[in-house]
Amino acid sequence: MKIRTAKFFVKEGFGSLRKNKTMSAASISSVIAALLVISIFFIIVINVDYAASKLESQIEMKVYLHDNLSEAIVSSMTKELKTISGVQDIQFIPKAQALTDLNKQWGDNSYLLEGLEGDNPLPDSFKVTLTDPSKANSVALAISSMSNIERVVYGKEELEKLLKTTYILRVSSLVIITILVFISIFIISNTIKLTVYARRREISIMKYVGATDWFVRGPFIVEGILLGLFGSFITTLAVGIGYYYSSNLIKNQMIGLLSVTLMPFGEVINSLAMLLTAVGLLIGIIGSFLSVRKFIKV
Amino acid sequence: MIQLINVNKKFANGHVALNNVSLNIENGEFVFLVGTSGAGKSTIIKLLMKELELDSGKIIVDDKDITKIKRSHIPHLRRSMGVVFQDFRLLQDKTVYENVAFAMDVVEAASKDIRRQVPMMLGMVGLSKKSKQYPHQLSGGEQQRVSIARAMVNSPSILVADEPTGNLDPEMSVEIMKLFSEINQRGTTVIMATHDLHIVDKMKKRVVEINEGNIIRDERRGGYFSENQNR
Repeated sequence: MKIRTAKFFVKEGFGSLRKNKTMSAASISSVIAALLVISIFFIIVINVDYAASKLESQIEMKVYLHDNLSEAIVSSMTKELKTISGVQDIQFIPKAQALTDLNKQWGDNSYLLEGLEGDNPLPDSFKVTLTDPSKANSVALAISSMSNIERVVYGKEELEKLLKTTYILRVSSLVIITILVFISIFIISNTIKLTVYARRREISIMKYVGATDWFVRGPFIVEGILLGLFGSFITTLAVGIGYYYSSNLIKNQMIGLLSVTLMPFGEVINSLAMLLTAVGLLIGIIGSFLSVRKFIKV
Repeated sequence: MIQLINVNKKFANGHVALNNVSLNIENGEFVFLVGTSGAGKSTIIKLLMKELELDSGKIIVDDKDITKIKRSHIPHLRRSMGVVFQDFRLLQDKTVYENVAFAMDVVEAASKDIRRQVPMMLGMVGLSKKSKQYPHQLSGGEQQRVSIARAMVNSPSILVADEPTGNLDPEMSVEIMKLFSEINQRGTTVIMATHDLHIVDKMKKRVVEINEGNIIRDERRGGYFSENQNR
């Protein structure tokens, strides 16, 4: 495409926005409405996802060992554990420390543990953190096959439930966002169709003097892109401000109640801006493409 | 050269627009297509522009069978033809200059060609002084002259006109016809569908009369009615 042609498209696209102020405002409003719904959904999803991944990362595995292993064996086991894929970090917890931890955990009731110091019944253990909770099963299996292992313990059922829930959430959110994108493309293409309809004479004249289909589409696509970008910019701004204030509010009110915090503002706004810009562009381009289609056949 | 060979066109409602029509038009000719409304004049023009597809037959323009060209090549065919309509079809929100330049923008002409060609065309149709005005500020005749400038700005070899004087009063029609005549003298083939018996009689050009989809008369230097017809 020639630079001059691109300039012509941009000039015509902007010109059409200016000339059809009411229609443009209506189109931008519908883009904003659609994007608002998408953003609210997106924010809920990424926050639940964020909480879930936080929970996932907290999942740890306890590996209990046989009694009375020599230091040499423990250190060779440490090395071996580190080579298992899916293991992020391991920490050796000697039986004495395990008892102290238990004491702390039981707090006021720790008197029940009095007298155990002499004959500590707790085994030595490893605390294993995982790179990816979905690998828990294979890691557990690999560890069990090593020698000197008494038992491997992790919240198997809870973990599986959590993984399932987050998976369903991710998939269903993707489906719903896709549906919303389609609905908004439909809305936008209908609104742009009105501007196209208003300019059908111009289109037929362009076709009569020998314009190619792409040339006719050009200005409308620029117009669609502009509508989509305006819409996504305004929505990002509005949702960003809304999220900033409400996340602060929630943080101050509920931090004591919930151990789960909202995703930080900076991360949300980045991914939201990217998502909305992409969706806005997509809506604009496809929407204008669809609306010109009918009138281009002259 | 334009050749129609056994062209048939029937509309969806069953109306036969063209019935086995054959017609040869040489380069540089001036041809009137006459006949009552619905006789098939406009259908010929629409077929030439590839606005309609024919049912059977061939249409050859400059040695190319245009019935076989791909949809993506239609724009290139149209660039070799200028077209003028009864209702002018100017863009109301563009000035006279912009309306003419638009036809060059659309075919992605270079700016320097546009700056040279558009004033030249406006000079030819006698509207140099009105280049900054809008169509609604012009008379019908002036608007039609703008549309002729637009049709000619890309230097097509064929100029097609569908009732170009249909919306104009007689004085203006004469002016417009002078312009077409001039364009034709410079070598452009002119094909004009018209109802206007005065201009046809005055111009003494080739007349092709169509009735109910058939060519019933083809005279080298004819009038609107045939010699042996009662007036």
